[in-house]
Amino acid sequence: MTDLVVAPLLVALFTAIATLPLRSAQRVQQAVSVFGGVLYLVAVAALVRAVRVDADGYLVYELSNWEAPFGITLVADDLSVLMLGLAAVVSLAALVFSVRGIPEVGQRISYHPLYHLMVVGITGSFLTADVFNLFVWFEVMLMSSYVLVVFYSGPDETRAALHYAFLNLLGSAVMLLAIGGLYATTGTLNMADMAEYLATVPASQTTPVLGLSALLFAVFALKAGIVPFQFWVPDAYRAAPAPVAAMLAGVVKKVGVYAIVRLLFTVFSVAALPPGLFGENATFLAFYGPVLLVMAIGSVVVGGLGAVGREDLDGLLAYSSIGQVGFIVLPLAVAASAVPGAGAEIPREGLVTLGITAALVYSVNHGLAKSLLFFVSGALSRTLGTVRFDALGGVSERNPTLAGSFFVGALALIGIPPLSGFFGKLLVFDVGAQAGSTVVLAVALAGAILTIAYFTLAWSRGFWGPPSDAVAGASVDRSFVLVAAVLAVSIVVLGVGFGPLYDLSYAGAQAATETQGYVDAVLGGSQ
Amino acid sequence: MSTDTDTTVIARTVVRVVVPVILLTAVALLLQGHNLPGGGFIAGVLTVTAFALVYIVFGREFLQRELLHVDDDGFLGGSIGEYGRTFTFGLALAASSGLAAIVVGELFAGGRYEFITQGVWFVYHVPVYHEIEIPTALFFDLGVYFVVVGALLTILAVVGRE
Amino acid sequence: MTPTALSTVFTAIPLQASAQSPNTQFVIAVVLGLLFAIGTFLVLRRDVVRVVWGIAIISQATNMYLVTMGGIAGSVPILAHGATPDPATVSNPLVQALVLTAIVIGFGTTAFALVLTYRVYEEHGTIDLAELGAAPPESGVSAMTDSSIDGPEATGDGEPVTDDDGDTDRHGGPAGSTEVADD
Repeated sequence: MTDLVVAPLLVALFTAIATLPLRSAQRVQQAVSVFGGVLYLVAVAALVRAVRVDADGYLVYELSNWEAPFGITLVADDLSVLMLGLAAVVSLAALVFSVRGIPEVGQRISYHPLYHLMVVGITGSFLTADVFNLFVWFEVMLMSSYVLVVFYSGPDETRAALHYAFLNLLGSAVMLLAIGGLYATTGTLNMADMAEYLATVPASQTTPVLGLSALLFAVFALKAGIVPFQFWVPDAYRAAPAPVAAMLAGVVKKVGVYAIVRLLFTVFSVAALPPGLFGENATFLAFYGPVLLVMAIGSVVVGGLGAVGREDLDGLLAYSSIGQVGFIVLPLAVAASAVPGAGAEIPREGLVTLGITAALVYSVNHGLAKSLLFFVSGALSRTLGTVRFDALGGVSERNPTLAGSFFVGALALIGIPPLSGFFGKLLVFDVGAQAGSTVVLAVALAGAILTIAYFTLAWSRGFWGPPSDAVAGASVDRSFVLVAAVLAVSIVVLGVGFGPLYDLSYAGAQAATETQGYVDAVLGGSQ
Repeated sequence: MSTDTDTTVIARTVVRVVVPVILLTAVALLLQGHNLPGGGFIAGVLTVTAFALVYIVFGREFLQRELLHVDDDGFLGGSIGEYGRTFTFGLALAASSGLAAIVVGELFAGGRYEFITQGVWFVYHVPVYHEIEIPTALFFDLGVYFVVVGALLTILAVVGRE
Repeated sequence: MTPTALSTVFTAIPLQASAQSPNTQFVIAVVLGLLFAIGTFLVLRRDVVRVVWGIAIISQATNMYLVTMGGIAGSVPILAHGATPDPATVSNPLVQALVLTAIVIGFGTTAFALVLTYRVYEEHGTIDLAELGAAPPESGVSAMTDSSIDGPEATGDGEPVTDDDGDTDRHGGPAGSTEVADD
């Protein structure tokens, strides 16, 4: 049964290999590719079931039969499988969209193999319990995404694509530096082993680890596109074709968020800070709390204000992604800086778990809604050749289903009941209220207002009113409408039947904070 | 584009001598890669280095027509398609060598072997060598070798063509 | 061996190294500093090729730094031909395995970056980043759509990318470089 842990990885890998030689038989390649996407979803579903029902929260897989901490260990816990589930749904939708959404000649040039290799990298990043292995999976994911962004964009966007590639290449070098330093100071690369070691280190000796963890954190923030590391986001998302942009915003971004949650809350949360910096008995979280808060505020403000001023749909969605990731980081900041008995109404552990739960729920909601919006934008751009607002207008009249899907996605990000986004926003506000933090509440409120503002703008300029000349003469491919509609329905369903998502997110948050459980699960096998 | 007139007799003679040595070194590195310095990656890079020398000194036509027997014309049908197939074969071989552990484990050992578990066979009473070690890692190395050779030759072909 | 015991063994190695070779350490530290400085200088240039060189140098410097993180004293950690050296006298092999992986990844990214530079030159006739930025994308069009409509697709179905078609060069590029990315 533990083979299930590696199943999604293998499915994606072998789909990539299977689609490679099929480049001249395009229909077959597309069929194999989509079938691989379905199989991936099935594998992930089986893994979710195995972790949630059959195993007690952890499935550990020691690659190559090397015992932890010597070998590379893959761990599927509630946090990992939640993220994998999101990746599976979005990647399948993007794949179906790609069949018609990427020009045929583009698909012939290795689009499908690269796409699945990107999924391999994403899957590995969610599963691995080894810091260096995380770097390798990041590279697999990023290398594929460089090609997907760079070579599937036109000459106009080459510069944006260059920035994306070069920045992330530098980020990878920095990540390697941090990993080397962590190995020298802690003597291990296994996350569980590292956590166990850090728990025993006296507070006076943890300063180097703090610096190195900050380097690592900066790299993850770069991947997640959090202010001040957001500058590559708008150009890269605009340059990438719609399905790739949907994957970048919906899933690749969440890999950064996942890595932050995993490393900060599972590994570095047990390390004590040197006394005198943040008072007695403070952990690394006390350092990251304010940092996260500032970054979250910056993201919400920069993203929201940037989105309001956009003249095209893609740019608006890209800036919106920055703002929305701020909403994900905001409860994380509260969770990190939660200290015992400082005006909080609930115990510290409860607040930490609640904060991470809010971040996870919001991540899932944003992943689905933002990819849906990118699909709508991609459908329009593929049909009309432009997504500038002055050329759009009246889409709701011409194609109510597509416009309706956009409406649902926008409402989900704004946070209207009964959509899943409502609970995401509600939890963020709840976390702020429970922590008694007016700053958090004010920022969340400002962000919500900005979200309403820019989506209202987008709706009224792009979708409402009489159809523009371009829109009136166009007819959107049915597969685009189908993908968008299915995602819209799934957002509604997730919102109406919110229980399971909340349970899984809550379990994921608990898995993220239970360092001891993680350590026992990973290292238990070797003792 | 380099043609025959660009190179001197010295260069051609040297390449004629050096290329076989490079290829031999590449094979040696490939075969010892599982427990000594070497492996599929460096062997592949060396092999392509040898091809690149031929390319520079004797020209692309000679390399593709005479040495590798691939056609230059066409996109996926010609040389690039051929290199792409080398690449695909290598990737499939490398990935399957990892998967084989699971399959063998399920069939013969009750699922005890994880993905990319390695093993080794010893073949004894071989003349000259006395004993030969055949590790499963060799298949992975072989796969990596083909991936590297295929990828680098593709770059040579695509960039060289323009 | 418990994991914690392992940790203490591994952490002991760099400490040993520092006791043995202060001079080597100093030299390596200076070289690392120089490499990072050169790399940073190059990355900040306007010429795309220089930027690629800068990134390559920085990643090589990172690799070197990674090797030193396992301790630089001790002999080669190779167990071959039946010889089993005393574990205390060999250097830590793990970082070297890590560096090998990182080198392969760096190789792939550098090759990719160079091919990318080549394509930039082909498309824009310049590799100056400032000149590239002189004509920012104002269309908001997903350009893939453009190139598909009036690009090579329109020229024929059977063999869309041919050698003489000037428009197809940018599609000729990816076939080569996408493969590299998979290393």
